[in-house]
Amino acid sequence: MPVTAARELAYTLILPLMAGIGLVHLVVVLLSVLTTVNLIGVPMLALSLVAARGLGTVNRRLAGALIGARTTDPAPFRPGKGLFRWVGAALVDATGWRAVAHALIRLPAAALALATAAGLWGGGLVLLVSPVWRLVPEGWPSAALLSPAGLALLFLAPRGLRLALSPERLLARTLLGPSASEARIRRLERARAFAVDDAVARLRQVERDLHDGTSARLVTLAMSLGLAREELELGHRPDHLERARALVDGAHRDAKETVAELRDLIRGILPPALDQGLETALATLAARTPIPVRLHADLPERPDASIEVVAYFCATELLANVVRHSGARHAAVDVRGGDGRLTLVVRDEGAGGAASGAGSGLRGLADRVGAVDGAMDVHSPQGGPTVITVTIPLHL
Amino acid sequence: MRIVIAEDAAMLRDGLRMLLAARGRDVVAAVGDGEALRAAVAEHRPDVAVVDVRMPPTFTDEGLRAAIRIRRDHPGVGVLVFSQYVETRYAARLLADGADGVGYLLKERVADVRDFLSALDRIAAGETVLDPEVVTQIMGAGQRAEALAALTARERDVLALMAQGRSNTAIAGALFLSYGSVEKHVSQIFAKLGLPPSDHDHRRVLAVLRHLQV
Repeated sequence: MPVTAARELAYTLILPLMAGIGLVHLVVVLLSVLTTVNLIGVPMLALSLVAARGLGTVNRRLAGALIGARTTDPAPFRPGKGLFRWVGAALVDATGWRAVAHALIRLPAAALALATAAGLWGGGLVLLVSPVWRLVPEGWPSAALLSPAGLALLFLAPRGLRLALSPERLLARTLLGPSASEARIRRLERARAFAVDDAVARLRQVERDLHDGTSARLVTLAMSLGLAREELELGHRPDHLERARALVDGAHRDAKETVAELRDLIRGILPPALDQGLETALATLAARTPIPVRLHADLPERPDASIEVVAYFCATELLANVVRHSGARHAAVDVRGGDGRLTLVVRDEGAGGAASGAGSGLRGLADRVGAVDGAMDVHSPQGGPTVITVTIPLHL
Repeated sequence: MRIVIAEDAAMLRDGLRMLLAARGRDVVAAVGDGEALRAAVAEHRPDVAVVDVRMPPTFTDEGLRAAIRIRRDHPGVGVLVFSQYVETRYAARLLADGADGVGYLLKERVADVRDFLSALDRIAAGETVLDPEVVTQIMGAGQRAEALAALTARERDVLALMAQGRSNTAIAGALFLSYGSVEKHVSQIFAKLGLPPSDHDHRRVLAVLRHLQV
């Protein structure tokens, strides 16, 4: 018997116990609700809701370990100090109430799983061994039929039970895990942490570029000019003048290179073309990309400036990936706005096989998109084509 | 004069080497990180090591730490720490074990070639060179400014140059004063701040900096 089937069977065998405890607990909750008019019921209800949390945890762990319904843990119970706060927090604890709902709604689901297990595993076993136990007095002919029938049932049992456990799985996932709003809060928390880290990392990068690049160049430039000045001061002999000329030539070249480098650096921080709108900036980007890029833009309303920046950097990064990895000879960028969302699609006919796994550039991009509550979809089978779709809100 | 350069920006490293060679200094090694610097100093025993503060792999204070270890391991080697920022903490760490043959300058000082070379000469001779910007920051900070309130404006000018490691002669030249009046200002300063008088320029620097609680 495969391990999963054994686990699912074990889960089903524990079900009566868990469902039974849940039922008893439900009765306690009901009694507490009925007695809330006496005020005794209020702390009792609070207690039983906290207990519901515990029961929910046990159910969640079982479902996760045995039937593959894994969810993240909901936020822990954090009451304030003092009895009244504790009671208050327990009474409005969504996780507790959801666990109570689970105990109630899971009853038919548990019954279904149990009945299926009894029918398939139990029935199959009984039929298989019935000839041996002489349950059927007729003798060989019927035994020859019953044993294969039992085998058939046993063969179907794992699949049947897995199917019958689907409602249990669904309930565990939806009622015992974090609620939708809780999950959203967590996602936003992660996005916020990423946004802050990302901002710091970018500042550090800018600082380093200025320090190692521009600043070092300017110091060198000043040094050449200082030397040249000394050569000029040293007199008017031809060799001094010649050296001074060479130094000024070098400084002149350095100055021009520094300006070009600084321009690239500035564009990396924030492209000036974005002031004219996303479409203009993307057109400039397309023109600067080493392979031909077909750009189509349809933006009836202008997105927030910060959204334009995110979309622009996505396009920059994705086009750079196309050039670097895909081997495609041209690419297409499509940006549209509507229904409050901006959709950016970057397409190429290259080698495909782009993955947004951990450590890839696409992962960082997905995080950045997530930071503005957006999503990124990567479609890139081996052999191409690669289509990457970024969807972000038009306004934050 | 034999010099080792440690600077990770190749352009600046080459520029420095060219400048020093053009002015008759012997650059015996030019390296790009702290480890290589310590190896080069151990091998060549130069008169001065010119050290960039920020170098790989951490790009924080690699050079400073290497400089401090060089001062400990090779007391005869002068160290000029070369930085794009003024960081009084760095100066304090560098001077913690004494101030003779130590310098801390902003990188752009290299543009005034003569001053830069004379700074190298002074460090090689065991004197102290502190960037005017460092001294300004030290003297400008709140409680220190209070400590200096008793000094006249002229005395403060003299103190600043003293803290940069200048000799009385150099101070006289810079402020267009006679040697005698500089001496008078110096003894006034030491009296007002309650410092034990000292003839050695680098000890003078230390006394002043300690007084300013660097």
